[in-house]
Amino acid sequence: MKEINFLARVDLEKCNGCTICARVCTTGAITMQNRKAVINQDRCVGCAACEQRCPEYAIEIIRRESPFIAQVIIESSLQEAVDNLCRSAKLHPEQVVCYCTGTRAEEIAAAILKGAKSPEDVSFLTGARTGCKVECIQPILRLFEAAKVEPKKPEGGWQWYGLTKNVWEIPKTIRDQYEGRGFYFDKDEELLNKVIHSK
Amino acid sequence: MSVLFSPAEPRESQYGINPVLVKKRGADLENMTSVLLKDLIPDLPDVIYPNKDNDINAVKTATEKALESVDMSMIKPNHTVNILASHHGFTLVGGLPYAEMLKTIKDVVEKKTGCKNIRLRAGVGLRFRETEEYIRRFGLDKHFNNKAIGIAPIDEGIPIETMIGTLYGLRRAYDADWIIHAHNSDVREVHFHRQVDRAVKPFGMSYARIETRSAYHQNMGPRASNFVARAIFDSKFVQEKYAFSCFLMVVPNGIMTVDADNDLYALNERVTATGCRYYGKMMTLLGAIDECIAVLDFPCPVPYVFSGGIIYANFAGANIDLYDLDNPLPPYTWYTEAFYGKRNRPLVDEVVPVNPAIKACIHNYAWTGYPSSFFAEHVPTIVVGYEQAELFNKDPQNTTYMKHAVVAENTDVAIDFAFKIAKTDKIIVFDGAVGGINVSESLANHLLKVAPSINEKVEHELLPKWFAQRGLDLRKALLIGSKEAAVNY
Repeated sequence: MKEINFLARVDLEKCNGCTICARVCTTGAITMQNRKAVINQDRCVGCAACEQRCPEYAIEIIRRESPFIAQVIIESSLQEAVDNLCRSAKLHPEQVVCYCTGTRAEEIAAAILKGAKSPEDVSFLTGARTGCKVECIQPILRLFEAAKVEPKKPEGGWQWYGLTKNVWEIPKTIRDQYEGRGFYFDKDEELLNKVIHSK
Repeated sequence: MSVLFSPAEPRESQYGINPVLVKKRGADLENMTSVLLKDLIPDLPDVIYPNKDNDINAVKTATEKALESVDMSMIKPNHTVNILASHHGFTLVGGLPYAEMLKTIKDVVEKKTGCKNIRLRAGVGLRFRETEEYIRRFGLDKHFNNKAIGIAPIDEGIPIETMIGTLYGLRRAYDADWIIHAHNSDVREVHFHRQVDRAVKPFGMSYARIETRSAYHQNMGPRASNFVARAIFDSKFVQEKYAFSCFLMVVPNGIMTVDADNDLYALNERVTATGCRYYGKMMTLLGAIDECIAVLDFPCPVPYVFSGGIIYANFAGANIDLYDLDNPLPPYTWYTEAFYGKRNRPLVDEVVPVNPAIKACIHNYAWTGYPSSFFAEHVPTIVVGYEQAELFNKDPQNTTYMKHAVVAENTDVAIDFAFKIAKTDKIIVFDGAVGGINVSESLANHLLKVAPSINEKVEHELLPKWFAQRGLDLRKALLIGSKEAAVNY
């Protein structure tokens, strides 16, 4: 859940049509029209990715006249499916996956179960991945994989490239080779398993 | 008594309040004093910077000397070279030493190889324009003939095949024939790296895409995560481009020297040994503080403000031994934060509370640009000034920080309130002072009293354990980290 209080605004005089803002937008709210960036105000969550990467400093973040709440409600009828999906993705349902918004795994799972087709949909619906824009992409992709939904990539975008390996998939040969060097693969796997299966 | 060590000056930045709004520093509060770090840890080595005249040429000379023994024969005059840097170096001792090292690396490489196409690619944490600010501030744009840029984790990526599958780097970090890894040995995030492969970490962070960073912080576990950077560095793709590494060697009291090596893992051993010995002592000493008010007062995000070389995030975890890898979860790290369920219910017993010695926190001056709500949720926090509170409310990474903190109009009001809730007169200021720490007289007396036994404990009990956990040869590691070795580094 996140209160959406801000919004991006483009200075069309400064915009040179480079498309970087559209490639980094976390909700897919930016399109290019006549070589200028256009913000879909209904879709923008004010994450500032565009403002931070615009080489021309053509984007500013302004306060919304009408703030809104990005939140997916988990009805009691959905709770069991949500819990199962989270644990299939090797996450505890209450585990925080977005440190900026405090969004928990269960809300992202619910968004996917309710039809989110991409991480951009998840970000728009829950607010997750709209703070630092960095740390929570893997658990989001893990939840899509567990739900057997292949997320749709924004065309030409740099929003995300793909799922990477996790500790459960580290081969024994690597574990053996680096044993005693401080990586503690087995013990960390044990810890994460304990989290997943905790009440 | 009075304060001898100046706090770091506020910096103009889009991530912090206007420096003119910082009216009073924590070090200027009543009954404050300074403690020389060498009075607390007598075996700290002498440093080359700061020096008597604050002559930055000491860093230039040390860099030139370190690079004398480095093989650069792989770089030909018609090649392209990227010097890879990271934001954090620019926060050390005012940032000038790191900037000087970067400039000198370029000059030496140019002179030794005849290569003219040398670029600076400076990575960031979560403040995507931070190194752009430093590039301008320290004249790196001019020195690199306008070939100096900041790179951010949401920029275009490049897949890198590694021994643990595909990971992702930043295209512009690797768009040259050769890369030079220009970093520092400052300990900084012990809660994340646990002094395991500290020297390698930027390959999984500053030079990496969001997928890789997220794998580190979410997919691997609190200790296994350090393998991510090693996997990237050891990849064929990176090894074919890697030329050498050059590090600013930092200790809690300043810049010890500059070290360079073609073999990053050899350098990593030296970083690990000195990191455990010197920062380990400082960290253990701060862990012996029984009660205090922490004052944040440095141009960096909340967790990164530092005192005696130790960042606030690590003080928040100093109630356990962060170097002991048998402790799975530091009191603050992102895995720990993730494992607090609803209503702050720990999901597993391994979640340890935040350092209970911190009775209150005064946020006198610290930046946005890092998710910091955890700190305000777990420690009573007083933010000085409405402008600073508003800045946090506008930061997408801190939308709930001010929901947990209160605002005081000025530093004096903040400390009065802190005394009431903390019921202690012990104060420690995280203001980046170099060579000493600024604390209240009561805390100075406490630290001076307990320091000798802490030094003994680290030297004889903890260091052997820490080195063994990291697979370091004990005799060699003790020699690398010793004062005698440091003098002749």
